[in-house]
Amino acid sequence: MGAVTYPDERVVTFILENLIPLQVKSDAQPLATDFNVKWTPTLVTLDSDGKEHHRTVGFLPPEELVPSLLLGIAKCHFDRERYEEALKALNRLLESYPKSDAAPEAIFLRGVSLYKSTHNPKPLKEAYEKLQAEYPSSEWTKRAYPYRLIP
Amino acid sequence: MAKTFQWEDSLEKALARAKAENKPILLDFFNPQ
Repeated sequence: MGAVTYPDERVVTFILENLIPLQVKSDAQPLATDFNVKWTPTLVTLDSDGKEHHRTVGFLPPEELVPSLLLGIAKCHFDRERYEEALKALNRLLESYPKSDAAPEAIFLRGVSLYKSTHNPKPLKEAYEKLQAEYPSSEWTKRAYPYRLIP
Repeated sequence: MAKTFQWEDSLEKALARAKAENKPILLDFFNPQ
């Protein structure tokens, strides 16, 4: 990550604008125990109270790190019921990185965020239909499978 | 000169900045070897 991903200009710009970067050794205590770190790199997105909302383990190239971080930011907002802010991050992810590994989960979470903010179930069905069309083998397509029955 | 960012090395400092700047934290556990 330090040799390839973090020096990338897209990554630098994104982190400067959107996150507070904190780096510690994988055996640093008490954090390593508190966050149950078993392998590196482990990347965790925390809110400003220190609560975890998203985690990845293993190397990510620049074109996967930025969408993964956008997903983490979206989850921070979603978990705090800030759906409008979550949707901003999810839409940015899906517009800028539609082929990234984070995209299927973002489609799922966008559908749920739209439902939670409007109480209209239609976005859930639309999320399933988009997942089925674009990512038929994704675990998120399976998780959205019941939404196909929404009238 | 290439643009870069400065890692915080303390959770307390990162949390203070996160509150002040209204941003989440990216916490990277790395292997220094």
